[in-house]
Amino acid sequence: MATMAQSAAGSLDPIIRIDGLQKYYGAFHALKNINLDVHKGERIVVCGPSGSGKSTMIRCINRIEQFEAGSILVDGISLGESMKNVNAVRAEVGMVFQQFNLFPHLTVLQNCMLAPMRVRGTSKKDAEVVAMKYLERVRIPDQAAKYPAQLSGGQQQRVAIARALCMTPKIMLFDEPTSALDPEMVKEVLDTMIGLAQEGMTMLCVTHEMGFARQVADRVIFMDAGEIIEMAKPEEFFSQPKNERTRNFLGQILNH
Amino acid sequence: MIRDFGLLEVLTILQGMWTTLALSAVAFVGGGIFGTLVALSRTSAWTWLRITSAAYIDFFQGTPLLMQLFLVYFGLPVFGFHVSAWTAVAIGLTFHASAFLGEIWRGGIQAVPRGQSEAASALGLGYIDRMRDVVLPQAIKLSFAPTVGFLVQLVKGTSLAAIIGFVELSRSAQIVASTTYKPLIAYGLAGACYFAICFPLSRVSAYYERRFAPKT
Ligand SMILES: Nc1ncnc2c1ncn2[C@@H]1O[C@H](COP(=O)(O)OP(=O)(O)OP(=O)(O)O)[C@@H](O)[C@H]1O
Ligand SMILES: [Mg+2]
Repeated sequence: MATMAQSAAGSLDPIIRIDGLQKYYGAFHALKNINLDVHKGERIVVCGPSGSGKSTMIRCINRIEQFEAGSILVDGISLGESMKNVNAVRAEVGMVFQQFNLFPHLTVLQNCMLAPMRVRGTSKKDAEVVAMKYLERVRIPDQAAKYPAQLSGGQQQRVAIARALCMTPKIMLFDEPTSALDPEMVKEVLDTMIGLAQEGMTMLCVTHEMGFARQVADRVIFMDAGEIIEMAKPEEFFSQPKNERTRNFLGQILNH
Repeated sequence: MIRDFGLLEVLTILQGMWTTLALSAVAFVGGGIFGTLVALSRTSAWTWLRITSAAYIDFFQGTPLLMQLFLVYFGLPVFGFHVSAWTAVAIGLTFHASAFLGEIWRGGIQAVPRGQSEAASALGLGYIDRMRDVVLPQAIKLSFAPTVGFLVQLVKGTSLAAIIGFVELSRSAQIVASTTYKPLIAYGLAGACYFAICFPLSRVSAYYERRFAPKT
């Protein structure tokens, strides 16, 4: 899979290029010189201990988080100062949060219709067709008229994925999408993500689901203290991690 | 000459009630529109706008409405603006109500979890869409009770417009009381009129508070 994605993207520029990214929270250096190229169709899993900067890194990609230095290019668009660029990038990049962040005052259907109507100018009728298509895709079309609070955690997270897909994004970012779920609901969300991966979606997933990483990732990234410590194909990453810190981390999360 | 308490007296008080309703409506609408702007300024990304709007709120919360009405009514002509009593009172009440409503709604906006506007941003929604479709509808629900509470105060506060010449509910009762020497009836009637305006507001508030309770 990895070779396929890379050969397909071979001659093309990366769809995400992060170059010398530095991020501070006040005096705290949260990201230290991050460099990362992601090619079209690639699936990348990011892991690392709590506070290592995983969320911060992927949140910089759609500028939900500001950064102090370095550059990020998404599909050729520079995430510079211009708000127009930022909104252009956000329309092409879907994001799924640990806490779902569905809009509680809107129904499931309205959650999915809002962005296409406001951002793309899609008509109400077309937005509804698109929304139903993706709600079917995540296998909950029958919940369309309900409010988020009436759904289980797993269902809410699938709605969140559908909501992002309604914008037909080129890239999907996931920030620990299963961490807030009861164990029995993790699988339904992971299955949805695996389905997306198989369709060729470019994905950046912060997750500690190592089974998922093994199954779909082209590359696994390990972060610690604001740095990318190690990056490798999953086979290598799990069987022969090079860095001491990676080995410790894997030891902790795989042996419990 | 002492008049009897007749139809004319009742009509005078009803006329006053009508003026009170009109003053309240002006304060609600003006305060609502400008209060939204004040709340958005207070939660803006720009420091200078936050500081300016905070000063505005502090000023109007820290001084009596009576003085604010005086300032507008007697102050504007000093700067060459000759305005009618209605314009002056509309401006004064709008200033006053927008400061209070702005502060109440600022609290509401900040009580909406940050993830909500982050999710909206991540979907590509710009500031206006984000506020209109995601943040404000939730903020309004969260601040509904204090908003109605303030509006009830405001209805009663419009009685201060009497000092710049308005014959609203309180003033009309005062006039009737002094011509009939039946203050108990006059003020009792005016009190009933205030109650008739304010009580439904409180009931509506209680009803929506139940309706807005988190859906489960
Ligand atoms: N808004 C903020 N203000 C100050 N410090 C912050 C802020 N957000 C994050 N940090 C700090 O930045 C560091 C990286 O945070 P980040 O959320 O990216 O970690 P993470 O790897 O996603 O952790 P987790 O696995 O717990 O989600 C942490 O030390 C955190 O305390
Ligand atoms: Mg995180």
